[in-house]
Formats: sequence, C-alpha cells, structure tokens
Amino acid sequence: MTLLNVENLKVTYATDDEPVHAVNDVSFRIDEGVNYGLAGESGSGKSTVAEALLGLLPGNGTVESGTIEFNGTDLTSLSEAERRDVLWEDIAYIPQSAMDSLDPVMSTGDQIAQAIHTHRNVTDAKARDRVRELFEIVGLDPDRIDDYPHEFSGGMRQRVTIAMALALEPDLIIADEPTTGLDVIVQDKIIDKILEIQERMDSSLLLITHEIGVIAETCDELSILYGGKVMEQGSVDNVLVNPTNPYTMGLKNSFPEIDEEDEDPVAIPGSPPNLNREPTACVFRDRCPFATDECGESHPDLVDLPNRNHRSACHRVKEAAQLRRDAVEPETWGIPDEGDADSSRGEVILETDALEKHYEQSQPLLDKLRGEDPDHVKAVDGVSLSVRRSEVLGVAGESGCGKSTLGETMALLEEPTGGDLTFDGETYEYYRDGNLQEFRRKVQIIFQDPFDSLNPRQTVRKLVGEPLTIHDYRTDEKEQAIVETLEKVGLTPAEKFLDSYPHELSGGQRQRVAVAKALVLDPDFLICDEPASMLDVSLKVNLLNLLRGLADAEDIGIVYISHDLASLVQVSDRLAIMYLGRIIEEGDVDRVAAQPEHPYTASLLSAAPEKDPTADRTRVLLDGEPPDPVDLPSGCAFAPRCPKAQESCREAEPAIDETGDERHRAACYFPESEADPTASEATALDDDEFPASANTDSVGD
Amino acid sequence: MSKFQRFLLKRLAISVLLTLIAVSVIFVVLRLLPGSPFEALVTSGNLNQEQIDEIRAMYGLDQSIWVQYVNYLGSLLTFQFGYSILRSQPVWDVLEPRLINSLILLVPALVTTAILSSLLGMYAGWNRGSRLEKFSIVSTTLLRSTPVFITAIFFIIVFAYNLEIVPALGMRSIRATPDGYIETFASLDFLHHYILPFTVAVLYYSGDFLLLARNGVVEKRGSEFLKLHRAKGLTEMEQLARAGRNSMLPILTYFTLRLGMIFQGLILLEVVFSWPGIGRELVLAIQQQDYPLVQAAVFIMALAVILANLLADVLYAYFDPTVSTSGGGSA
Repeated sequence: MTLLNVENLKVTYATDDEPVHAVNDVSFRIDEGVNYGLAGESGSGKSTVAEALLGLLPGNGTVESGTIEFNGTDLTSLSEAERRDVLWEDIAYIPQSAMDSLDPVMSTGDQIAQAIHTHRNVTDAKARDRVRELFEIVGLDPDRIDDYPHEFSGGMRQRVTIAMALALEPDLIIADEPTTGLDVIVQDKIIDKILEIQERMDSSLLLITHEIGVIAETCDELSILYGGKVMEQGSVDNVLVNPTNPYTMGLKNSFPEIDEEDEDPVAIPGSPPNLNREPTACVFRDRCPFATDECGESHPDLVDLPNRNHRSACHRVKEAAQLRRDAVEPETWGIPDEGDADSSRGEVILETDALEKHYEQSQPLLDKLRGEDPDHVKAVDGVSLSVRRSEVLGVAGESGCGKSTLGETMALLEEPTGGDLTFDGETYEYYRDGNLQEFRRKVQIIFQDPFDSLNPRQTVRKLVGEPLTIHDYRTDEKEQAIVETLEKVGLTPAEKFLDSYPHELSGGQRQRVAVAKALVLDPDFLICDEPASMLDVSLKVNLLNLLRGLADAEDIGIVYISHDLASLVQVSDRLAIMYLGRIIEEGDVDRVAAQPEHPYTASLLSAAPEKDPTADRTRVLLDGEPPDPVDLPSGCAFAPRCPKAQESCREAEPAIDETGDERHRAACYFPESEADPTASEATALDDDEFPASANTDSVGD
Repeated sequence: MSKFQRFLLKRLAISVLLTLIAVSVIFVVLRLLPGSPFEALVTSGNLNQEQIDEIRAMYGLDQSIWVQYVNYLGSLLTFQFGYSILRSQPVWDVLEPRLINSLILLVPALVTTAILSSLLGMYAGWNRGSRLEKFSIVSTTLLRSTPVFITAIFFIIVFAYNLEIVPALGMRSIRATPDGYIETFASLDFLHHYILPFTVAVLYYSGDFLLLARNGVVEKRGSEFLKLHRAKGLTEMEQLARAGRNSMLPILTYFTLRLGMIFQGLILLEVVFSWPGIGRELVLAIQQQDYPLVQAAVFIMALAVILANLLADVLYAYFDPTVSTSGGGSA
C-alpha cells in the first residue's frame, strides 16, 4: 500500500531579487515498509523536499503547487495544528547535523520525553521508561538519559536523534543526511543501526543523502534529483546498475571506490544550474556531454522503461546503453585523459622522525604548586614519515586521531614538542631560528573549509596575490603569476575570476582559489587537511585529480589528510593510517588497500560503502569509541577495540615495523595476513612476501 | 568534592579576594583626597588645636596609616561602620533606611522589567520584522537613551500636575508619621507615591533587557535544534520557550550586574522624585567628606556587585549545563 505519494511538488524560495525555484514538479511514491532514497548534489532540492514534507520550510519558502498525500490525507491542506499532530506521531525526522540539532540546555532524555509528552498522555515515569528502552535499542547506556548533549560524542548524539525518531514508532522516518560529517566507522555503525531498527519496527524510511553508496546499501528504491527535477527513479538495482540518464551515470562514475583504483573516477564538469527561473530546457543540459538541440527545447518527462521499475527523464533514453559506455570515458565529459602520468618519485623532501606534539592539560593550582607533572594529550606521538617529491602521501584516521595536528605540526604552525623534522635537507631548528619565512614559502597548507578560509572582502586577485606580497616573491610580475596559477588550478579563463569575491564563486571554485593561494608561491610541499570534505562528489573528484596532476607535473610533495579512505586511495601513492597519534600502518597504497595488515585498517576499509547495490560487503563493526587520549591504555592503543587482541597486545606496544617490509609496514603482532589460514598457509611464518597479495588481480601500479 | 563544589569554592575565593581589593582601594582613595572632614571646623575657628587632636584621636586618625588600615579592615569586615562625622549618628543608622528605600523602589522595578521586557523581547525576536518588533525596539531605545530625569520630569508634569492622579514628590505625604518599615511601606499612601517613580524605573531599565532577549532569540531562531523541536510537533509557543531558554545567559548576566548596581541607587531619579534613597545620601556624604559614611556606603556597593557576580556564576552553572563541567565557562 502506498504510504506517501508526492505529486508534482513545486517549492520556491522568495529572495530579494527573484524567486528561486528549488523543487520543480517532483513526484515519487513510497510504499509501506520500503526504504526510499533521495540522492543528488547540493542545490538539487533534496533537503527542500524533506522540509516540504515535514512542513519545516523556512519562512521564505512556499509550496507553490502539488500534493503530498500521506496515508490518504493531503499534508499540504492541513492546518498548522493538524499538521503538528501528524509530525512525530506518524512522520519522524532524523536531522542532518547531530552536533547541533539537540537542545544544548536540555538533557537528552528530557528531549525525547518531550516528544512523547507532546503526543501521548502518559505519566513522567512511563515516558522515562520508554526513553531508557529507546536508549537501549540504539545502543546507548540507559543510565545516561539525564546527560546533556555536550557529554556525548557526535556519533552518540546521532544515536540520540535516532532514538527520538523511534519514540512513537512512526510510519515514516525521514533522515536528512544522517551520516554526513561523521567518520566512516561511525557512519557505518549508524546506518547499520538504522537498518536494524527499521526492520524491527517495520516503518518506511526516506533517506536523503549525496552518497550514492549509502543509498545502494540501504534502499530499495530511489530518485535522483538535479536542479529540483527528478532525473531518474526506480528500484535501486535498476537505476544504479544500469543508469539510463547521463546525470546518474556521471554521479555514479564520480563516486570514488576503494577497490577499483585502476579506474579513475570521472567528474562531471561545470556547476549546478541557476534556478531563478522555472526550467524550460533540460536542467542538466549545460553539463551534459550528450545534449542535443532537443534538450534545449524542453525538460524531458519521466518515461517508464518497459518491464521494470525504472523511469528516466532524458530525451535520449533510447540510446542509454551506448551513452553508458561512453560515459565512463573522461574524454566524453571534455576532460583530457592524462593517462597514467609518469609518477616516478623524486628525492625525499620532508621527513619526520618520531615527531611529537603533546598538549599540556590545565591542572588544579594545588597540583601545580606540588610540582606534579601535568597530564598530556598526546595528539601526535612519535610519528616517523617521509614524503618524496611528486609523491602524494595519504594520512587517514577517525576524527580525534591527531591527523590534523600532524598536518599543522608538519607545517610548523604548531611547535613540535619532540622528535625531528627535516625539510629540504635542513632540520626544524634551522627554520625555527630565523628561517621560518623561507619555510613558510616552500610549505603551504590548504584547509578544510573553503567557506571560512577565504577573506570575504577580498577579490580573487587580492587573495591569490597576497602571499606574493608577504613573501616578496615575483612582485614585479604579480599579475602574470596570479593568472598563471589560476589557470593551473583550472580556473580558466583567469581574467573572468580576477575581480570576483568569494561569495560569487561556487564551493568548488572557492576551494580552487584556496589551492591557487597555496600554489602561487611555487611551493615544494603541500599539506592538504580534508580539502574536499565540504564538496559535492563531482567537485571532490575534480579536486583530487587536480592535486594528483600537480604532484606529477610540478614535482611537489603532498600530504593529503582525510578520513575518507576512498578518495585517499584515488589520490595517494602511499598511505599512512593513524590511530590516537600514532601511525599504525603505512605502505604503498595498493598494498594497504588490498591487503591491510592492521585490524584497524581492515575495519576502516570495510566501513566504506559500495555504490554497486549487488555487491555484498562484510562489515567489521568496531566496538566503542577511541579511548581517552590523556589516559591511554598500556600496550597497543587499539587493543581495547580490537577483535584479535591477545594478552601480549596489552602488555607491550608493537612498533611500526613489527610486520612487513619497507613498502608496507604495520604495528601489529597479529597481522591480517597471518590470521587467515587459507591465504597464508605457505609463507605466513616467514613474512618476507605477502602471499595473499599475489592472488588479488586488480592491483595495479 | 564534586566538580560543582570545586567550582563554587573557586568563585567564593575569588569573591573574597575582590572584596579585600575593593576595600583597600576605598581606603587609599579617600586618603588621597585633599582636605579632611575637620577642616571646616578648624577654619571656622571654633576649635583649638587641643580639641582637634582630641577629635582626631577619637577617630583613630593619629595612629600610623598601617594601624589605621588594619583597624579599618577589621571593623569593616565585621560590619562596624563607626560614627558619621557630620551627623553624629552611627553610620549604619544613617545608611540603613536610605538603602532600604532605594531597594524597595528599584528591586521590584528591576525584577518586573527583567521578566516583562525579556518576554516581550523574545516574542519580538520570534516575530522578526513584525510591527511589534519595530515598535518595541524604537520605543525602548528612546526610553533608554533619554536621561532618566527628563522622562521623570515629563511623567511628573503629565501625571502629577496636569492629571493630578499621583503626588509629585516624596515617599510619604508630609503629614504621615510612620514608625518602622512595615508602617511606612504597607500603606496606600506609600503606594500612591510609589507608582510613578516605579514606572519610570521600569521603563528606564526595559530597553536593555528587551534588546538582549530579542537578539538572543533572533540568533537562535534558525538553529538546527529548534527545527527538530518543530518537527517533534511542539507548538509555536513551546518552540519560543525553548529558544528563550537557550538565550537566557546574557539576560542573566545583565540582570545580576544591574542587581549589584542597584545598591548605588539611581541618583537622578531619587533627586527628581525627592526619594530619600542611598544615592542622594552618598553624594551629600562625598561633598562633605564624611569618611566613615562614604567608606561604609562604597563598601556595601562593592560587596553587592561582588555578591551579584557570585550569584551570576552560580546561576550560570544551573542554567547552562556546559559551565559546571568545564570548570567555569564564565571565567
């Protein structure tokens, strides 16, 4: 039976100039007990659809036309009070950012109880019992219901919102990007939890996300949105395996995956359409390589494909099979195929030896007077790495593992508290004693958020030119240097961008300006701290390809820090996995990805979702959260969460070269290659070679 | 010892230290002032040197400055304020009724306005862009920026002289001879005199609270947690209550700050309404260099501000759960 039926929904936002047509004629249907996915890049209108369903549109948003039928009643015709009764009782909502969607001054239990009291006439004691029960269901300690949101980690807060959504056993749960901003491992656990619970409760789920992989794993049906239009919809198996719409093909091809590093992801060039008018032509036309004159005349209607649950809005849907073949080739999208550029690596440019960054904790006055040693947070604890020219070193790890601090310490933005750092043949002391300016020119860092790291009151010319002035570098040919660099990062023609302000640029363009700002000084070394985490998938791939190209062409060394293993595998030559301030595994990227030795690496890898709905993946769900970095357990830091931990792991800490050779090392007494008896029968005991890696096929250099 | 207790202990220690510093500053500053309270007596020629020495000895002014300081500290901290030089009355007997008069006018006014204008401000912030919001902002800003004596005089002209609803001056009618506080304040005559200065004080304080509350709610209005509250099916008013609850900290800060400063009275208001409050008394005492009286008054004011701050810290810990665990977020 149909639970939710959305027909021809149109939503506009009033702005100072002209209305923005965010959602244009969207129709879809969710049956009872079905998981439905709504996918698309930012600006595709997917969150607006959710807000319209819930009646949560901001003040300037209006539902222009269309109906939203839920269980037979049209939600758009309900009065404010009637709608409040439906909310949560029948339709619950899991918000996007768990970090700030809980009321900070109300205990988590009370917030859930509030939802119960609003809709049911129950006693306080009963509501509390229900809250305890819910905490148990989502895997939280029921004794913590009186704790406040700030006492929980991000993943746990998301569990609280899930518990809240379940409180009244609604028929439909709308989850708006429930895992964005969470680490892969936490994301995996949350998705697993949502699925498990939803199966038990038999409710429907509307999952809104830009991660096709998450939808492929969790949903039965989906709609792909672009520019407020449904581009393609139908069962996940049909749409994602055999897409018939060029946009879906592009989206799918740009989603990087760990186990296909021989196949470069292909990004969709261009940026989302301007929605100031109702679309008259196909919304995707400007970015579509297959566009014809017909596409300029009208937006195609959704056409049912024969004999399967699959609809697509494309004028050339009949040629889908041919388009699909073409779409995997980068040339189709106007991206020059650079092929496998010569990635011979140069000499070592930066090396750290047991680098340490410890933060002192503030301690009570009394202890200070007694001369007691303060506690330290060991953010970076004995990291030894080396990066060569034209090499990209990927650093991966969960949030809180110290990877950002490592980046900042390498850039000497934080002073190391121990260990050595050698850059370009000179030690850290050399630079610290008066040569920091030189270091600052040669080593550049790109930060996470392109929205915050650019001064909004400066034009691109000023932004990119500023470092030149500071370092008195190429000052007589400043304009030329700026233009050259902008073109290098793909902002062509550069003249068009010189006088723009950051707010006039898209997210991807802004991040390119940030990269240009770093590159204008012709650095030898680049540190990128999650530069792509705020970007849509196609923009992300663009940036990854750009960095990869820079490393190859400009002969610079790059450290790429991220929690997203899939993109790291795409961009890096070598990969280092970090856990609680230490490198626990390091090696050539294909070997680490294909044959992880450390159990932690294995679980990280297994947590990344697959975009192919037919693929099965075994989850390795880790227990608990990383321990307190102040009070680390003795022995291996990972032992408390490790499925294979033995007594010896808790006694002494394994060194990084415990297992493996120069090309691939891991700090583990019981590496994966030895654990699997079938794969390692022959040579597991003398581990000079990796028997298992010889069996895998898709490993390419 | 729980975290909160430690937090409280720390705050208390800081308050004690601040009190000591304040008291010392008063001591030094008063002695830096030119002239002395006895100068007037001396220049009038009615006293000879012996009598002056005798008086100075009586007040302990012939001792070394350190002894004076220690004695001063000891007496002040045990609330023995000594004798007023000019009124020949124990200082506390002079101060107490004035202080009570000021407090009975200003504390209810402050509490009333804190509650009413904060609520109004929250409502205005929630309905941003509405006429109510614009009107309330303009009118309270006007009241806040007009000097209080002008508002007061205007009110007196309208309500006392033109409409003759209320008396213009004083706290009680001239013929009343009440005995004790209860008789003074628990009477219709007092209420009659009270209503006009009370209203002016309420209006005077209202602007700050209104703006603080409005800004807080405006800032919180777009936040994610309110969206979730809305999705849960809370009514508009319930959502507003949560937004208001979340923007209470600045209002609380301001309230306690003002509460401390009330002990200084509102001099202009007291003068215009001939209200026998502490503000007027203090000005008089400073003019005439009545050391003991000024010392005691300033001490009480400083103590009030310090205690109000302590109260703010404790209230913070109660109202914002993140404060107590982080060991003093307000520091």
